[in-house]
Amino acid sequence: MRLYRKEGNTIQILSFPTENVEKGDYLKIEDPKQNKALITQIIDIQFANVPGILEELLRDSTNDTHLNGQDFDPLEVSSHVTYIQDARLLICKIRASLDNGKLNPTSAWLPNRSQSIIKQLPTTSLLKLIKINHSLPIQLGETKDQSPLNIDATALDGKLNIVTGKKETGKSHLSKLLALNLVSHGAPVIVLDLNGEYAHLGYGADGKKNEYNNRINVLTPSENFRVALSQMKLRVILNILIHALNLPGTSAREFRRIWQFLDERAALTLHELGETIRNWRCNQHVRDALFSRYYALLNSGFFTDNPSEAVSLEDCFQRIRSGGALVVNLRDTSLVDRQIVVEYVLGKLVDLLTQQKLRAVFLFAEEAHLYLRETYWDDIVTRMRHFGVFTTFVTNQPDTIRENIYRQADNVFLFNFTNEHDLETVSRAAKVDAETVKSIARDLPAHHCLLLGTAVKDFPIVVRVKALNVQTMGQTRLFFTEKN
Amino acid sequence: MPTRFIELSLRSIKNIASQDATLYQPYETITDISAEPSEEITPVFHGQTKLKLNTIPLKPLPEETPVVAIDVSSIKIGETTTGILLAIRGAIVWKNQNHHKYHYLRIGPFPFHITEENKQEIYQLFRQYSLDTLTPNTTSTPSLIHMQTRITTLLERWLQMNIATQSQNTLILWDGSLTAGTNDSPLHIILQLLETARNRLNTVLAFTKITRLRLSGHRLTDLIEKCTPPCLLEMDGYPIAPSNAIHFLGNIYVAKLTQGNCSFRLDVDRKLPREQAVEAIQRLLANDQLAESYPETLRLAHIYSTFTANEVIAIQRLLAQTHGIKTVNRPNIRRLLFGPFGKGPESG
Repeated sequence: MRLYRKEGNTIQILSFPTENVEKGDYLKIEDPKQNKALITQIIDIQFANVPGILEELLRDSTNDTHLNGQDFDPLEVSSHVTYIQDARLLICKIRASLDNGKLNPTSAWLPNRSQSIIKQLPTTSLLKLIKINHSLPIQLGETKDQSPLNIDATALDGKLNIVTGKKETGKSHLSKLLALNLVSHGAPVIVLDLNGEYAHLGYGADGKKNEYNNRINVLTPSENFRVALSQMKLRVILNILIHALNLPGTSAREFRRIWQFLDERAALTLHELGETIRNWRCNQHVRDALFSRYYALLNSGFFTDNPSEAVSLEDCFQRIRSGGALVVNLRDTSLVDRQIVVEYVLGKLVDLLTQQKLRAVFLFAEEAHLYLRETYWDDIVTRMRHFGVFTTFVTNQPDTIRENIYRQADNVFLFNFTNEHDLETVSRAAKVDAETVKSIARDLPAHHCLLLGTAVKDFPIVVRVKALNVQTMGQTRLFFTEKN
Repeated sequence: MPTRFIELSLRSIKNIASQDATLYQPYETITDISAEPSEEITPVFHGQTKLKLNTIPLKPLPEETPVVAIDVSSIKIGETTTGILLAIRGAIVWKNQNHHKYHYLRIGPFPFHITEENKQEIYQLFRQYSLDTLTPNTTSTPSLIHMQTRITTLLERWLQMNIATQSQNTLILWDGSLTAGTNDSPLHIILQLLETARNRLNTVLAFTKITRLRLSGHRLTDLIEKCTPPCLLEMDGYPIAPSNAIHFLGNIYVAKLTQGNCSFRLDVDRKLPREQAVEAIQRLLANDQLAESYPETLRLAHIYSTFTANEVIAIQRLLAQTHGIKTVNRPNIRRLLFGPFGKGPESG
């Protein structure tokens, strides 16, 4: 490999067919005279612009049906021609500089073009250099050179993470892996499970209970997850009414009075709420508005007046506080009901965190745009983060996550995208340059993920996510399979 | 291919390796036009009194006849402190009449390091094989700068002779003209070549890509524009060479064989009866594809012999790998002296 040119933080390296390099690989450009080295990453591989190549290709393009022949080439020049034709240009990004063995994120020097030695930098050596802490390791899988890649659970602590990629590339698989590893390190995890994919995390692929079984708590709204009105705070129910059920301001004010009235009488039940609305002295339109929301709450099946049916979320959170996952199974739940449940869970969560009853929680939100109200996005990355809610967004529609979320994301676990628009959206992540994201993500095979951010000390690394011995749910129900 | 060519090629390169092992990149890596063996010696037609020329209309003659074309290219790969490094390659293309398919044989490339010390040996070897004579050369060895042209022509003659002796009842297409009397094309050799071809019922047709043929100041290729192709333009007069040593061994025509903008000087062996010459061209029309009046076999021979820039790099790489010869760029004198005003072939 030879150093060809440098422009900005992009370095072009000439590589030959015998040198086996791929996108995502790291290269070390050593300048022995300066005792320095540049750490670069290949983000694209192109054919070198060899002069005369077009003429050669045109000359050789005639097929056998029209023209054939032979070469008397005793000196075997043609093998050299082929070698040069296959010369490649490696487009690399400078990731760091090594000055006398010390890693430096900036590179204000230029290596010697003719004297520099360019070598592949194995991931194991890179990881040693960047010194990833391994006190709480999470093994994500293997890198291209078959070395295991561990990140540290602390790299997710207090952080905002995004797992994104197109369908069936392995996003949910990775988020399950992260969630289970966090659980095994004693962290409380809450999963807003849109498709019921996490409900069987406590079972192995063979259907038997696994090591996590007693630490996975699945709450299915209107089945084993119902709550009593008395468990709710006014703020939470108002959030549900205003944000999930679009209750107008005037009606909300009236509802506040009704709630306070019932609360003073310790009569916060669905039945009493209905009766009070019916008998409350107020404008007929307000009453109608309140009644329609009341019936929405009633029909959701999420609320109960039976204390034995009501689930105490505080108790659930207590169960997972030293390591466990609370999976809120939102499968088969309507949009409105989903929003009601999520408003309740997040409201309760913030309450508990505010009261210091819970230290912190890792929240996994799959396709959050389908249940998270607009105002929550900023709330999650700013206010709730300070309370101790560390969110991981999982989505296959990157444009549903706001740009400011990408900018503030600490870690991005990026799977394959081919759509330009999606790549453009994801490339706004501040942790890496847009070219890297676009070029590498486009060619990632299934189950391969590009790690960006704090977890890998801002050195993007491609990893093949390891298999997980849990029962996979959430697979698409197929017509023909069932028929057979 | 005589083994001695290959041996000499390798020996001449080893010669560089044993010296300073540095090859200076020439300013131009394109084929040197002056090195084209087909450089035209333009006749003047005496006795031609009128601007009106004889037009011979042509009609394809569907009589199965093999067509063979020969072309040779050379390129300067670099310079050394003692000489020059050339590469030479020949191509023979023929059309298989049964399968309507073209075939080619590429010979080379052969790099040669030519120095004052070895130029005579190389030249004599080429003459020995190409001109088919073991008698020592009476003419002196050319200077280094002319060696490229000379050995290119000699290799071409060697290929032409081989084709002439091995083919029968074939149309043999040459790149260039049937002009003899130069150092590389001695009269007796070209005569012998044409005779050999004739004896085996072959017909040599020589196409000159760029001709300076003029009549009363008018370019002959312009005069044929008005004629309906396929046709030939025939001159009335006798071609007179610029020197007594030069002989035109062909009848000179201007050929416009297809619709399009191009027409070419076409020389046909003078010793063939006129009717037979015209018939040969008509057989070419029926047996080869023609685009812009140029035969496909000859076009392919040119394409397959021509060097690309990549091939030059490949030869330089071969020399570096096998003999440790490094190519370096000479300082650009024009640039050094005149800065941005230093235009020239090297300024790119």
